[in-house]
Amino acid sequence: MSTAGLTPEEAARWADRAGLPLPPDRRTAVAAAAQHIHSVVAVLRELDFGDTPPASVYRAGEEEHDAAV
Amino acid sequence: MRPYELTLTAAADAIRAGRLSPVELVDSVLERVERLEPHLNAYATVTAERARLAAREAADDAAAGRLRGPLHGIPMGLKDLIDVAGVATAAGSRVRADHRAQADSAVAARLGASGAILAGKTHTHEFAYGLITPQTHNAWDTGRVAGGSSGGSAVAVAAGTATFALGTDTGGSIRVPAALNGVVGLKPTYGLVPRHGVTSLSWSLDHVGPLTRTVEDQALVLAVLAGHDPRDPASLAGPARDYRPGASEDLTGLRVGVPRNYYFERVDAQVEAAVRRAIDGLEALGARLVEVEIPMTRYIQATHWGLMVPEATAYHERTLRAAPELYQADVRTLLEAGELMPAGDYLRAQRSRTLMRREWARMLQDVDLIAAPTVPATAVKADEEVITWPDGTVEAVSEAYVRLSAPANVTGVPSLSVPVGHDTAGLPIGMQLLGRPLGESVLLRAGHVYERTRPARELAPVV
Repeated sequence: MSTAGLTPEEAARWADRAGLPLPPDRRTAVAAAAQHIHSVVAVLRELDFGDTPPASVYRAGEEEHDAAV
Repeated sequence: MRPYELTLTAAADAIRAGRLSPVELVDSVLERVERLEPHLNAYATVTAERARLAAREAADDAAAGRLRGPLHGIPMGLKDLIDVAGVATAAGSRVRADHRAQADSAVAARLGASGAILAGKTHTHEFAYGLITPQTHNAWDTGRVAGGSSGGSAVAVAAGTATFALGTDTGGSIRVPAALNGVVGLKPTYGLVPRHGVTSLSWSLDHVGPLTRTVEDQALVLAVLAGHDPRDPASLAGPARDYRPGASEDLTGLRVGVPRNYYFERVDAQVEAAVRRAIDGLEALGARLVEVEIPMTRYIQATHWGLMVPEATAYHERTLRAAPELYQADVRTLLEAGELMPAGDYLRAQRSRTLMRREWARMLQDVDLIAAPTVPATAVKADEEVITWPDGTVEAVSEAYVRLSAPANVTGVPSLSVPVGHDTAGLPIGMQLLGRPLGESVLLRAGHVYERTRPARELAPVV
C-alpha cells in the first residue's frame, strides 16, 4: 500500500486478493479504516531492526514451557 | 453490613469462620443483581438457579467442615469470552447466538475447584474488540460508558452484583473499565494465567486477570489463577506463589519510577492531579521516586496495532466470510480492514516488540515499579466519540483509553490499576502500577499499602 490514500476500488481489490469479497457498500468504510491502520503502523518502517528476530516464538517439543517474558 | 457489600477477603473469612453462609452471600448478590441490572446491564447471562444450587452445596460442605478452597462459596462474574461448560460464551456477538461451551476454560476450572460460584457471564465489547462495552452502563453514572472491553465485569464488581470478576486484557480491557468504574484490575505478566478456553482477540497480546474491590482481593484470586497449563502455548512454568501482600505498612526502599514522558501527556488535568497526589502518597509511605524515560514511545501504538489487527482478523477468518452481517458495524470494519495488512507490517511489529521488551527490561533495572495514570480521562458520555485536548488535538475515545495501557500488553509486564480518587463530577480515576515480568507481588504490596491509607472504598451509588 502506498502512503497515498487508498481508494474504495483498491480496497476491494486488495480484499479480494486476500480472499474476502467486499460488497460495494463496504468499500468506502473499509478503505478509510485500512488507511488509518496503515498510517499508524507505517512508522515502524523507520526502525533499523538489524538482526532483531520477531517476538513470536516456536519451540519444538512439548516439554519446553519455560517461555521468557 | 449486607453480604453483597463485603469484599472478597471479608466474605471468604466470614464463610471460613462460619459467620456467613454461602447461601446468604449468593442470595444477597443475586437480589442485588435483580435490583440493579435494569440500570446497569452488566450481565449477558445470570445463572441464578445454578448459583443457588451450588450455594446450597457449598453451605452443606462448610457446615461439615469441608472447604473446597480459598474462594469457597464466593459468587463471581466471568467475562462472556471465558468458557464455562454448559453455558453460552456469546462474546457480545450475534455470531455466537447458539453457542454452548462444551468444557470449562482453564481459569473457570481452577476457580470452580477453589469453591467460587458463577453468578453469571458479564458483557464484553463484541469479541473484546473495543474499549466501550456499549451494552453496559457506567456504575457511577449510567449516562456514561462502562469502558471495555471487560465493561460488564468492572461494573458488576463496582456495584456489588459480583464479589469479584474476571476480564481479559489485550490493550487495556481489564484496567480501562476498572479505572472508569473505581475498582481494582490486574493484567498479569503475559503467560502467568492460562488462556485455554478463552476466546482470543490477539494471541500475542491477550491476558486474563481479576477485577476486585480491593488489592488484597486480587492476591486471593491471582493465587488461584496463576500456574502453568500446557494447553496455552504462552503459559509460563513456575511454582505456585502466595501473592497475599502481608502486614507491612510502609514502602521504605521501594523505587517508584515516575515517567517524564508519555504517561502524563494529553492527560486530563484532574486525572493527572489525582495520580500525582497518589504518587506523593507512595513517597510519604517511604518509597523513593525516580524519574524514568519511557523508551520507544513513538512506536507503541504502531506495534500494538501491527500485532492485534491481523491476529484478530485471522481469528475471525471463517465467520467474516460466512456471516459478516452478524458483526456490529465497528468490529466488522476493523476485521475487514485487517485483511489488507501486509505480512511485512506484522513482522515489523513482532520485531519492534522484541526491541521494546529489551528497552523496558533495561528501564526496569533502575526501579521496582512505575506509577502512571491508567487512562488519560474519566468515563465519557455514552454518545461522545472523541476527546479534544487543550493543545487542540482530537483523539478517538477508544484510542485515548487504550493509549496508556497498551505498553504493558506489548511488553508483557504486569500492570495493576488502583482507584486513586474522583474528579469533580464524581467519576473514578485510576493509577496503574507497572512492574517487572512476574513482579506481581511487588505491585500488590505497593497497591495494598497505598490502599490502606485511604478511606474504605464504597460501592458505586447506582440508584
